[in-house]
Amino acid sequence: MNSVLEGKYAVTMDMYPLQSKDFNRIYPFYDNLKQGRLTTTRCLRCAKVAFPPRVVCPDCLSDTLEWVDLPTRGKVLVVTEEEVGVPLGFETPLIHALIDLDGSLTLFARVINCKMGDLQEGDQVKLVIFSVDPLPVEGKKGAVILQERVFFAFEKAYPQE
Amino acid sequence: MRNVCIIAGGQSQWGVRNATQRDMFQEAGKACFDDNPAVTNKDIDGLIVGSAYTERCSFQTHLAPLVAEYLGIKPKNICARVELLCATGSSGIILAYAMIKSGEADVVMVVGGEKLYTPQKWEIGYSELASVDHDWDGAMGLGLPPSVFAAVAIQHMKLYGTTEEQMALVSVKNRRNGMNNVKGQFREEITLATAMEARAIVRPLKLYDCCPVTDGAAAVILAVEEKARYMTDKPLVYIRGTGQATLHNMSANFSNWTTWESLQIAAQQAYRKARIKPQDIDVAQTHDCFTISEIIEYEELGFCQKGEGGFFIQEGHSDFGGRVPVNTDGGLLSCGHPFAATGIRQATEIMRQLRGDAARQVEGARIGLTHNLSGFIAAHTVVIYGRDLE
Ligand SMILES: [Zn+2]
Repeated sequence: MNSVLEGKYAVTMDMYPLQSKDFNRIYPFYDNLKQGRLTTTRCLRCAKVAFPPRVVCPDCLSDTLEWVDLPTRGKVLVVTEEEVGVPLGFETPLIHALIDLDGSLTLFARVINCKMGDLQEGDQVKLVIFSVDPLPVEGKKGAVILQERVFFAFEKAYPQE
Repeated sequence: MRNVCIIAGGQSQWGVRNATQRDMFQEAGKACFDDNPAVTNKDIDGLIVGSAYTERCSFQTHLAPLVAEYLGIKPKNICARVELLCATGSSGIILAYAMIKSGEADVVMVVGGEKLYTPQKWEIGYSELASVDHDWDGAMGLGLPPSVFAAVAIQHMKLYGTTEEQMALVSVKNRRNGMNNVKGQFREEITLATAMEARAIVRPLKLYDCCPVTDGAAAVILAVEEKARYMTDKPLVYIRGTGQATLHNMSANFSNWTTWESLQIAAQQAYRKARIKPQDIDVAQTHDCFTISEIIEYEELGFCQKGEGGFFIQEGHSDFGGRVPVNTDGGLLSCGHPFAATGIRQATEIMRQLRGDAARQVEGARIGLTHNLSGFIAAHTVVIYGRDLE
């Protein structure tokens, strides 16, 4: 099986990284994500919590790091709704929000399952995980291994949730 | 240390081009040599080439020797490519300047260009996902997105009372100035009403608040002062100071969206090296990728107080006749923005303004500035030029 002929050629240049242990040293981030956890690395020497996760602490350069959980709920500080020129693979309007994750991190992230005008400053949002197109990788003797991939966005949360 | 002059500059036609990247590099090289017949391709001992999307859109690496061959240049001291996305061109100029100043080269050409329109229209927006931290911001659908600048605008409006009309005035001014650049992408004036009533891209940004996608190339030649003296019969224009700073790359580590600290640092470095103050700048080309960018740049470059950028445009201080005319050739909003060529186009316009032969002249201009921002407002690059060394 030839991935070019499968129409998957462009996938090798798509927006999602290869996430398994064979390709990526921060694979626990994606494993944790599959369980609904948003995690990152914390330095065991200087306690710096960095996002995105690393293999080396950007502060003290130690490579002894541990995985810690980040909040999965946050408050919307700013909303933007992209109506024109949205990249291939994303919905129109493409909604982004500057989200305060309980004071621990501010992320500019995609908000899905949301209509134009629905999301407002001050709203609560929660983490949502979705599967993305698996990527065929050539293995030994012509075998094709499908690399499963996931990614995250946020969606509007309601107080009762 | 030696003194460094900019002695020639030119650009290809910019816009949606029926031409390849290499066609446009040749056009830009010719336009640059035509600007100053006293210097030829045989005089160039260093070549720095810039392109951000050369692999993605033209499937070409090892670009500098290719451009050298097409332009008949045989560099002996440097022949390499540089890339810093929207600040690629000005980064090339800074590196060429440092090489000449230190004695590693004497006459260096800096060429930058992009072929961004490919037969598949979706490709450009998709390619832009490689411009930010791909695995994180790219996966959120953030390339070089107006949504980032819309989020900046919303916060600046809330904090400082900046209005959509003040932003629109930036596009009206730069579209008018764009009439001065015969090789720019857009050469039609717009009214304030046209800008205000245009369709939304990402509110509050509308069509004319955003620079377009552009094919094009540009080139300049820098030379050591001793050689520059007999390589041009025009007034000498010196590079006086440079600064480039970056404090973050990814959106999650961008601490303040409306106060661009890395621009303050880059500007302070450039002013200090040039031994001047912001008030000494006679003319500037700043990175108007979006109208809100130019407004914040007035503030961080020290042309006005923090938060007063909206009033600065409204009161005409950045127009011809004002305190410091900004984007006198139309800026990115009119000329377009082939990433690696933009800083070189800006340098060419400043060189002409200081030589006194610009298409529309700022009378008596002796000190000029160029500025680029790149990526997720992540890096800022400032270059100061002057007719005098002190
Ligand atoms: Zn550490």
